[in-house]
Amino acid sequence: MTAQGSVEEIAVTIAERPAGTPPDESILLDVRGLQTHFHVMDGTVRAVDGVNFSVPRGGTVGLVGESACGKSVTALTIMRLLDIPPAEIVGGEVWFDGTEILGLPEDEMRHLRGNDIAMIFQEPLTSLNPVFTVGDQIAEQVRLHMKVDKKEAIDRSIESLRLVGIPSPEQRIKQYPHEMSGGMRQRVMIAMALSCEPKLLIADEPTTALDVTIQAQILELLKSVQARTKSALMLITHDLGVVAEMVDEIVVMYAGQIVEQGTAEQVLTAPTDPYTMGLIESLPNVEKRGGRLSAIKGVVPSPFNLPPGCRFAPRCPYAWDACRTTSPELVPAGGPGQRARCLLHTPAGAARRAAMLDTAASGGATAGQGA
Amino acid sequence: MTQEAKPLSTPTGSSPIDVEADAIPAIGMGVAQPDEAAALRREEAGADYEVALESLNQWQLAWRKFRHHRLALMGLGILGALIAVAIVGPILWPFDFNSIPKPDQIVYQGRPPSLAHPFGETGGLQRDVLNLVINGARTSLFIGFSSMMLGVLIGTIVGSIAGFLGGVLDNVLMRTVDVFLSIPLLFLILVASRVFGNGNVLLIVVIFAFFSWMGISRLVRSLFLSIREREFVEAARAVGVRDRRIIFRHILPNAISPIVVSASLIVAANIIAEAFVSFLGFGVNPIYPTWGNILSNALTFIPLGNWWWPFFPGLMIILTVLAVNFVGDGLRDALDPRTRA
Amino acid sequence: MGKYIVRRVIQAIPVLFGITIVVYAILLAAPGGPTARFANNPRVTEADREKFKKAWGLDQPVPVQYCRWMGICNPNNEGLAVFISDQGVPNFLPTAIGGGTNGILHGDFGISISTGQSVSSMIARAALPTAILAGTALVIWLILATLIGSFSAIKRYSFFDQASTVFAYVGYAMPTFWLGIMLIFIFSGPGLNILPAGGMTETRLSPPFGTEAYWAYFAANPFQAIADIGRHLLLPVITLVVVNIAGDSRFIRASMLESLSQDYVRTAKAKGLRNRVVWFKHAFRNAMLPFVTNVGLEIPFLFAGAIVTETIFSWPGMGRLTIDATRDYDYPLLMGVLLITAILVVFANLLADIAYAVVDPRIKY
Repeated sequence: MTAQGSVEEIAVTIAERPAGTPPDESILLDVRGLQTHFHVMDGTVRAVDGVNFSVPRGGTVGLVGESACGKSVTALTIMRLLDIPPAEIVGGEVWFDGTEILGLPEDEMRHLRGNDIAMIFQEPLTSLNPVFTVGDQIAEQVRLHMKVDKKEAIDRSIESLRLVGIPSPEQRIKQYPHEMSGGMRQRVMIAMALSCEPKLLIADEPTTALDVTIQAQILELLKSVQARTKSALMLITHDLGVVAEMVDEIVVMYAGQIVEQGTAEQVLTAPTDPYTMGLIESLPNVEKRGGRLSAIKGVVPSPFNLPPGCRFAPRCPYAWDACRTTSPELVPAGGPGQRARCLLHTPAGAARRAAMLDTAASGGATAGQGA
Repeated sequence: MTQEAKPLSTPTGSSPIDVEADAIPAIGMGVAQPDEAAALRREEAGADYEVALESLNQWQLAWRKFRHHRLALMGLGILGALIAVAIVGPILWPFDFNSIPKPDQIVYQGRPPSLAHPFGETGGLQRDVLNLVINGARTSLFIGFSSMMLGVLIGTIVGSIAGFLGGVLDNVLMRTVDVFLSIPLLFLILVASRVFGNGNVLLIVVIFAFFSWMGISRLVRSLFLSIREREFVEAARAVGVRDRRIIFRHILPNAISPIVVSASLIVAANIIAEAFVSFLGFGVNPIYPTWGNILSNALTFIPLGNWWWPFFPGLMIILTVLAVNFVGDGLRDALDPRTRA
Repeated sequence: MGKYIVRRVIQAIPVLFGITIVVYAILLAAPGGPTARFANNPRVTEADREKFKKAWGLDQPVPVQYCRWMGICNPNNEGLAVFISDQGVPNFLPTAIGGGTNGILHGDFGISISTGQSVSSMIARAALPTAILAGTALVIWLILATLIGSFSAIKRYSFFDQASTVFAYVGYAMPTFWLGIMLIFIFSGPGLNILPAGGMTETRLSPPFGTEAYWAYFAANPFQAIADIGRHLLLPVITLVVVNIAGDSRFIRASMLESLSQDYVRTAKAKGLRNRVVWFKHAFRNAMLPFVTNVGLEIPFLFAGAIVTETIFSWPGMGRLTIDATRDYDYPLLMGVLLITAILVVFANLLADIAYAVVDPRIKY
């Protein structure tokens, strides 16, 4: 893990900032109190419910959580790619490169998309248009944002394909997506995303749909091109193993809210929220070989029927009465700058936490062991 | 299926007019966003909806979904009313071929709708258009529905044989279907009605049925091909269930939903086709009122501008076909296990 | 590509052959047969009928009649046996090689029973008016259906979408001939009377369409002639368009909605493309793929619609010819019309498949 800044610096980046004022110059993307709702037939889904985080220039942040925790919706809200309605951005601010972009007129937003913020999607098989050649699709974006002629756009397309390690790109640009493998197509997506040298690259589960061996290659590629192009990376994944390799900071989401954030090292080695603990527990690892993998018991609550107190309480092994009635806030917990959304880290939970740490110290079960 | 109504195959499935989850918002229900909701729900895979699970059988479930389909309910209501009129109307107010106008009433010009004759009166014989339409409904609906039933029966049998037995027989039957579907069926219906029909209602029904089974047989065959490979049929065969029992107890019940949906299309198509064939004078004996015959008689009175004469029977055709299509849409959604109640 | 087309044409042959059998079977199974047209004519005696049958070869066994009609056996020989012509080559080869003169395979559709003219010439004469009517309607209906469908999908749930949905449901339920009649009542009835109720040309102005006199008139006053046909074309075209547009606009709407929900549309938006480009380049191109096939499959309905429309508007085309042939039990003419129609349908499907293969890069031959 190459820590991008010192722990203190990161602590600053995730601190609260007053609304309406741009963040510090070193911050590329600053998301504040973001709320996105979906109005559907059965009611309103609060898909993103007050999310705060930021991405430093050239930094890497991982957004982690189970399916439907709101991580993809967060990304799509930042890109403003959601259909409104049914989606509605209810509140919050998104500052990108010193500008609040949720309020930008659509045509200015369009200049950002693909140019300053690029996005890679989960499904390389369906994310490319089947009726155009990959060269056409990359060159289309280059011509749109870089004001170059057709010839140069094609040259740049070839160049970006070369950058992502596609052999003989001159021939490849004339191929259609169906003539390529899934891994190749994801490389094309990355090449397309990087073709205009964006300041921020959002990768939404970029490897989920790929074979395991290809996954490693694509992650390696993302990491190396990110380092080379100095663009910031926001990586969305459900796989803690992936973020461990890739990012400096981790934001863990559950049911539309951030439940824990901190540096990758803090979150992965010293998680403070029971949900994060459960996620880490459920990872297979060498020490636990032979034993049973643990899983977080229960399922994600219905978005129409969220628990009244802590949203994780029904599944939480540490939950007590207060958890079922009180919604916890995101509070400092663990290391510097680390925060968790759990009553254990409030004065009310202090006693329980102390007791818990005692049991753990005396050789008891690891925290977060769900049956 | 006959010509007037196209099979309107859609990219996603076999619907008339409308497609997938999109059927409901058609009219007056613009707020709901079923597709996005579905997409969201897909994202929510594995979510716990905490629904109390009642055990409902296929038909209870289907009815529950159908009830929520506003247009389909409306269609069912209209269709029910039309059928009731078609059955009761001619008894209460029969068409009397021999009723001829009294001498003082003989005027060539018809009379526009009035309180006494809400649909107006025809030119020439001064018939009450409402009376004609009611009596025509009986024949037109009878032909539409009974030819559909007979056609579905033929189609199901042919499709079952082709799909279950396969081999050479399958090939021969399906090529025959190809041949039939390569000629505009309306041509064939027209010719057959002319040469065999003789103006006889029952013969017309048989002819229409004979040209309505191809779509169904293709459908049933493909269902057989896909279902017979499924586990439960394998399982049934493994425990020694006989073929006939497999067909009637295991395969056909699964095929009912798509058949019902296509059947609704056939009814609509055949009602229109009957009207057309009668309109040309090749259908039901023109002295008896069917919706097509009424229209046909009206045609010679164009210069007099008796618009109410063709207008009302046509309106009834549209109303019937609309109702049948709505019911078909509702059935499609209700019988599709992928949609929710 | 060439191979693919050849294979498809070869596949079409048994279908066409089957069509001839089906059509022939229907006609021959008819009680009375062609002499039924004399049934109500007291002046025609039994002997006359026999003479008529003999004259038209209807006294022969059905397979023989069929073979003669097909041109498989020598028309001068009674019976089935002769498959080899006098020139020593098989009879089922086209005229130039086979040497025979009669039969479908030799390009001879026979003589119409009701008019005594050759069926080929009657069809040829009727083909142009139908091509004008159906072609005009097809072009207008495809363009309008595409526009309406696409905009309904893009502006989903808007007033336009709802209105077009209602229009589609009603249009789909509307019988073609009823719409035609109502249009005639409205525009040609005693009220407005601004458009001709039928026909293809104004008989007081010009000679009948298709005759040599007509072409002379056409050459002399081309603009007047075209305007005249245009006026007569208006109502039938509206009829065909309204009825056919309903289903197609829904098809395109559904197809477009499907496209719009695809991942590549999101990718296109994420590139920063304008909505217009996303819709009409990325989504539209994909939405058109299934429609291409659909149009091919709709050709039979276009013909069916044309029969109906031509009947109502007295349009002197193939539809009229079909109805007349049906009414008069004119078997050679009916067989010819049906066969030509079937060939066109098979050909249209083939064309649609080829077009699909051309527009979709994923299709391999």
